[in-house]
Amino acid sequence: MPSPFAIYKSPNSEPREFRVDPARDRYNTTNGTTTGPSAYVLQAGQVDRDKPSEPKCNEQGEFTELSILRMALTGLQDDINEYLTQQMEVAKNKKLKQDDEQRISGEINKLLDGGDDDDDDDDDQGSSSKKA
Amino acid sequence: MVNLNSVPPKNGQCYLALGLEGSANKLGVGIIKHPFLSKHENSDLSHYCEMEILSNIRDTYVTPPGEGFLPRDTARHHRNWVVRLVRRALQEANVSDPSQLDTICFTKGPGMGAPLHSVVILARTLSIMWDVPLVGVNHCVGHIEMGREITKAENPVVLYVSGGNTQVIAYSENCYRIFGETLDIAIGNCLDRFARTLKIPNEPSPGFNIEQLAKKSLNKQDLVELPYTVKGMDLSMSGILGYVDSLAKDLFNKNTKNKILFDPKTGEQLVTVEDICYSLQENLFAMLVEITERAMAHVNSNQVLIVGGVGCNVRLQEMMATMCRDRSNGQVHATDERFCIDNGVMIAQAGLLQFRMGNVVKDLSETVVTQKFRTDEVYVAWRE
Repeated sequence: MPSPFAIYKSPNSEPREFRVDPARDRYNTTNGTTTGPSAYVLQAGQVDRDKPSEPKCNEQGEFTELSILRMALTGLQDDINEYLTQQMEVAKNKKLKQDDEQRISGEINKLLDGGDDDDDDDDDQGSSSKKA
Repeated sequence: MVNLNSVPPKNGQCYLALGLEGSANKLGVGIIKHPFLSKHENSDLSHYCEMEILSNIRDTYVTPPGEGFLPRDTARHHRNWVVRLVRRALQEANVSDPSQLDTICFTKGPGMGAPLHSVVILARTLSIMWDVPLVGVNHCVGHIEMGREITKAENPVVLYVSGGNTQVIAYSENCYRIFGETLDIAIGNCLDRFARTLKIPNEPSPGFNIEQLAKKSLNKQDLVELPYTVKGMDLSMSGILGYVDSLAKDLFNKNTKNKILFDPKTGEQLVTVEDICYSLQENLFAMLVEITERAMAHVNSNQVLIVGGVGCNVRLQEMMATMCRDRSNGQVHATDERFCIDNGVMIAQAGLLQFRMGNVVKDLSETVVTQKFRTDEVYVAWRE
């Protein structure tokens, strides 16, 4: 049976391919590391009764084809989830950096000339209202 | 007249449908049978399909007291249980060859995105595996059609009350039209969230536990005064929830400055948690009865059908029955928890009616689920 694989494509990044590596533990279980219950509900006292069923073996003690597929997909799902979480971190950091740069340049502009103009405007408005 | 036999059944004798529901924390799988009868060829009998329930399996994702259900964890529950539930449903229905099913019906919306997605993935997989056509069903229409079939109410005003929806509906020209609805939170959501404040168990359901507490109130003649917010045909419940939440917190903190809860002179407690639960129910249900009665007057109907999870509340049924009795021998139709609470059978029933009118999914792109899907967006081809 051919192994499943996945390709992630996005306009902002190079395509990323995910392949099954049977030597790694994550491809030999149906209990994924990123597909468990939320930490929040466990802290609230939730007992996890929604675990996926264990992989099944045939009479020879080998995993059934469907179980092998389920384990491969569990590992792939973990890989994809970790990659996407990492991408989200990158995007978040990029945005924070942009926001910082924008803030700093705004503050510099205000100090150099923009702030003076604003103050002048305020003063003008203040004086005109006083005149009225 | 409507021809419900426009698509003949696979076996020539009866239709078989599998329904999959998972729009919130209940995961339901049901299998139903409709006999293929000539009386359905040229009639208006969509409420009289002679439906037989072959299996109705449900599993609920329950969280600890004080907690709601998060989309991610609810979706995980559905994902990891749905195959087991389908197996049980097939076994109980004695369906050994699933390719004999005429259709597989799934909830298309409205509901929580992630749980809906978990279930539709299985629906697509089964459809491809067994070569059985899919039908996407509006969850609210599922409740209505199930209620009509079980109670045989022909053309009632429908009060749809659940954790996610509060609507007063009446049928007109191939559409279930919404006469009134909540402007903010649903009634079930209001009750569930108050149950979280009280930290009472979510098992079997928070609303049921509030109903039991309300029954124990010893001060039923002295209602705690709460906001009453009917706005034309609509109603609002978020303010009431905020108010009862603050009352409950004052009660727990023994805030004797609160004159509603404590005697200002002696500090004696005047109101219990049970009294607040009772007053909350009376207040909310009175609002529902008022807008339902107004809708009945609009459409000149004397029948009410209560559907949705909150519809199994006996006190709501009693209050609605009192109103109906006062209106020229009106009737209230309601069902018990097997059919009121979300289930797979209701999706199978509405889906099978759609299927019998030739409305099936032609391409998998049509199976995308949606969180927003209003009751009045569905073309009701199976009614005259």
